[in-house]
Amino acid sequence: MTEVPRETRVLDAVVSLVDSLLADFDVVDLLTELTERCAALLEIESAGLLLVDPLEQLRLLAATSEETRELELFQLQADEGPCVDCYSTGQPVSVADIEAEADRWPRFVPAALDAGFASVHAVPMRAAGIVMGALNLFGTHPGALSDADLLVGQTLAHVASVAILQEHAPTPWTVMPQLRSALSGRVLVEQAKGFLREILDVSVEDAFTLLRSYARANGEHLTDVARRLMTDRHSRPVLVAALTEFALAQPS
Amino acid sequence: MAIHDQLLAAVDGRRGAEAADRLCDACVVLFDIDAAAISLVFDGSNSGTLGSSSAPARTYDELQFTLGEGPCLESVALRTPVLVADLADPDEDRWPIYGPALLSYQIRGVFAMPVLVAGEYIGALDLFRAQPGNLDGEHFAGAVVAAELAGVPMLDLLDADLQSAVNDPGSNAWTELHSLSRAEVSQATGMLVAQLGVEPTEALVRLRAHAYATGRSSTDVARDILDRRLKLEAD
Repeated sequence: MTEVPRETRVLDAVVSLVDSLLADFDVVDLLTELTERCAALLEIESAGLLLVDPLEQLRLLAATSEETRELELFQLQADEGPCVDCYSTGQPVSVADIEAEADRWPRFVPAALDAGFASVHAVPMRAAGIVMGALNLFGTHPGALSDADLLVGQTLAHVASVAILQEHAPTPWTVMPQLRSALSGRVLVEQAKGFLREILDVSVEDAFTLLRSYARANGEHLTDVARRLMTDRHSRPVLVAALTEFALAQPS
Repeated sequence: MAIHDQLLAAVDGRRGAEAADRLCDACVVLFDIDAAAISLVFDGSNSGTLGSSSAPARTYDELQFTLGEGPCLESVALRTPVLVADLADPDEDRWPIYGPALLSYQIRGVFAMPVLVAGEYIGALDLFRAQPGNLDGEHFAGAVVAAELAGVPMLDLLDADLQSAVNDPGSNAWTELHSLSRAEVSQATGMLVAQLGVEPTEALVRLRAHAYATGRSSTDVARDILDRRLKLEAD
């Protein structure tokens, strides 16, 4: 089997993501896919998108992994780490060897090493002169991001920015309300994960996979399913029954 | 002092309606407007004005609940800011009753920023101005921050038993919002919805009340709920 050249795989990812943008799409779902594409294309293990909220705190919008330990690592970046630096300067940050930065980030570095990561990088997302957040990349081997990798990361970060702001041309008046809206979608998805954990007695990771597969199988938006589950008490029992049935039909 | 810090200073150390009132006062001082109010559209039976900068501000705000149309209601329904530069503009016909009513009070500009709690759009910060014209960029950005902060007094008012929160001198709106925005808090909120048969907003209120009562962070309580080390009792 011949290896598909990376250039082709990058183009394939961009075309596929832009195709989704031109159709009706769900922002949390699309950006989760974008982080998965990142991990597949770059020399990294794990990727996450962090958006800034009105209080200038970075919050996680999407990630390749729903594992608690990794979510924790992304969330820690609200306080310190490469994403905070990337956000405050608007410039990419590449840390070839996390271990060497223990003094700079006393909480982030041990947590990242503990999770098995050796390198970390962040590229900014921006629009209308505002830095909106950062794409955060973790590698299991030490090493800087190559220029080519950086370009791929930056391209995907731009696609993510467009996805979040797609409804309107960005202005200082529209950017922050749309960030709030995207983040509220994530809150509902997290609630739905917890809800399904309780109802179906599964892990939150499995609950996310189930929710996402169910939404796709039914041609619905991930956040719409989550919103219906969490905020519409009248349709909840029917949706719970449908999700339960869907879960039982999944190969385990 | 940056707008952020001035808004935070207005709410810190205060709770519930008092914090909401002070936040509205700060908006009037900072954003070149004449009146501000915070109101809630939780469900049909539980809506109204929670805080205001003055008696007239409360009047402008409450009027929309009497008339069934207005900035807070629209902002929650559409999940977006509502910005009306001039109610006297002949093309401005979104509120056929509320609009003329506000004009009779000499209010021309009306701006509403949605307030979110537990991922839900449940209320708005309403700003009123006698002069027509848009909010400038900096004031708009500040108003979004104020609306984010308004989530905390709104949570207070949804909590039937506020004693624990009131007695915690270390509570701070900013750290609280930070903690409540974490993934595990949302996940635990979802578990409580299933366990207690309540809606997400109430589930979050319960989680937070337990954290206050036991002197722990919301995040720690959330982790215990997720790991099934802690079960909150149904009412």
